[in-house]
Amino acid sequence: MQEEEKKEISGTGSLTGEALEAEDVLAGAEPWDPIETKLVVWSFIAALIALIIGLLVVPTSIFFH
Amino acid sequence: MTDLSNRKWYTGMTTQEDWWAVWLGLGFFCLGLLTLAGVDLVGWIAYPKKWVFSLPEGAVAKKIVTPDKAFYALGGKYSITAKGFYKSLGPIGSILVTYLVFTVATTIGAYFMKWNIKRYITGWTIIFFLTYLVWFIGHHAFFAATAVDLKKSKFPDMFTLSLGGGASFILALIVGLIIGNFFKGFASYLSTAAKPEWFIKTAIVFLGVKVGYLPIKAAASSAKLGKEVAGLTGELFIAGAAATVVAYLIFWPGVYLISRKIFKLPRKTAAVLGSGISICGVSAAVATGGAVRAKPVVSIMVSALVVVWAVIELIILPGFFTHVWPRTDDPLVAGAAMGMSVKTDGADAAAGELMDEFMRTKIERDTHGAVQWPEGIITVSAVMTKIWIDMFIGLWAFILALLWVYRIERRPGERVMASEVWHRFPKFVLGYFAAWFIYLAIFFGPGHAGAPEGMDVLKAATAGAVPVEKGMRKFFFMLTFMSLGIITDFKKLREAQFGKMVWVYFVALFLFIIPVAILIAYIFHHGMQIPNIAPQ
Repeated sequence: MQEEEKKEISGTGSLTGEALEAEDVLAGAEPWDPIETKLVVWSFIAALIALIIGLLVVPTSIFFH
Repeated sequence: MTDLSNRKWYTGMTTQEDWWAVWLGLGFFCLGLLTLAGVDLVGWIAYPKKWVFSLPEGAVAKKIVTPDKAFYALGGKYSITAKGFYKSLGPIGSILVTYLVFTVATTIGAYFMKWNIKRYITGWTIIFFLTYLVWFIGHHAFFAATAVDLKKSKFPDMFTLSLGGGASFILALIVGLIIGNFFKGFASYLSTAAKPEWFIKTAIVFLGVKVGYLPIKAAASSAKLGKEVAGLTGELFIAGAAATVVAYLIFWPGVYLISRKIFKLPRKTAAVLGSGISICGVSAAVATGGAVRAKPVVSIMVSALVVVWAVIELIILPGFFTHVWPRTDDPLVAGAAMGMSVKTDGADAAAGELMDEFMRTKIERDTHGAVQWPEGIITVSAVMTKIWIDMFIGLWAFILALLWVYRIERRPGERVMASEVWHRFPKFVLGYFAAWFIYLAIFFGPGHAGAPEGMDVLKAATAGAVPVEKGMRKFFFMLTFMSLGIITDFKKLREAQFGKMVWVYFVALFLFIIPVAILIAYIFHHGMQIPNIAPQ
């Protein structure tokens, strides 16, 4: 399969040719790393900060009802 | 693999679908603007009317007509300088001109994108006429006519499905899905021209005209209503931005956590899946896959799932939001939630458009015509959150690339260029905003915000805007539905290696993304009202 065709997933139909590689990418999960905890936690903290700012700044937020 | 190291800021301007959506969208938008100078070059677009085989006794051909009048050139109704000419085209003439113009325009794009031109033109021609046929059938009064349509055309009481223009969208999707799943050879042949992402991105640029034109349309009723609609679209812009930032920062880590902790997927697969389900489906999966250096097959698998699940959402969510919750009580909460839940531009805008039809028809029917909403505001609310999410693709891919290079995989000596943000930026968004702001500038500038001294300018602007925002936009939505169906192969979900991914996607989407999207949409959009345009 050509590279361009691979990228155009929506038009290619079946992916059976990639079966073996597909197994590889689903298996063999690495152990959870502390950096992942940081990534997830900091993202949630950033969401909370954005939510509070949004509530206070956006005129249509439920804070102003 | 393409060498990305020599990319300039203008790389891809003539070769990417994203940019060709901008060129196509803005090209017709600019043609529409010429009506301000008295030149109408867009009124030829063929637009459908609701129809029946023969009018019952006493009925008048107003909202519902006979099949020979089922299409008309929009310029025949809205043009100021060429009304007679566009009327003279008739249904067949306007369809043929529409075919010629769009065949030339899209084939130029196909040529520069290095597609197989012969196959493109053949495929395009089949898709074009199939789309118009479906548009015609979908406008039969049984599917599309509402009680108000029947009343205005003095029809006797009769049962109709009252789906409005939504019937055509559903039918286009069904016909496309039948081709895509039962005539796979034919679907494969059509795939060169079945480009839902290109069509929908172009339609979204046309939607920018719609957003800018909404206050002009409202001003035709009263200057006060015009300003009200302009204010509402501005509010959607701000609320959509806030909702998207919050939602995205919850979506991605949530899906990553589900993928890693519950389904035990590897990091890179979880990262790509997180982006695919949380952000903007295909483009996000491809962008993130590149950022974290996942194997190409991961992006491909996730993208395929995104497309298939988006179609399932498209079928379920508009009806759910219209008839179960929040119904017509909070239509813009539903629109914003839709934008954050459906993960391809095509399916989201299409679902928004479908819900717009459903909700407008429902409120009109429930109130016996006492409440009527302007067309397109619910679609705008759905697309607004989606566009904000699209804009984050580049930024998020950049952040992930930084994290993976410098923290997670610690690749010594490797640097991530800031220009990556620009290269990942969805360019069609530029066309959307340009079209929106220019019509808004016309409204507040020479249009004097709907005051009597600006009405001539606003009428001229209307003649150029309506064929684009109504005719071309809906036609490209129809093309999107048809193409989405053609390229969607439900068999993909059954393929063994998708099993785990399908479940991660299902759990993440229905038990996490959609509920969170609804909650955040409610926080920022609850209580926003669509102006009533029913004659008082």
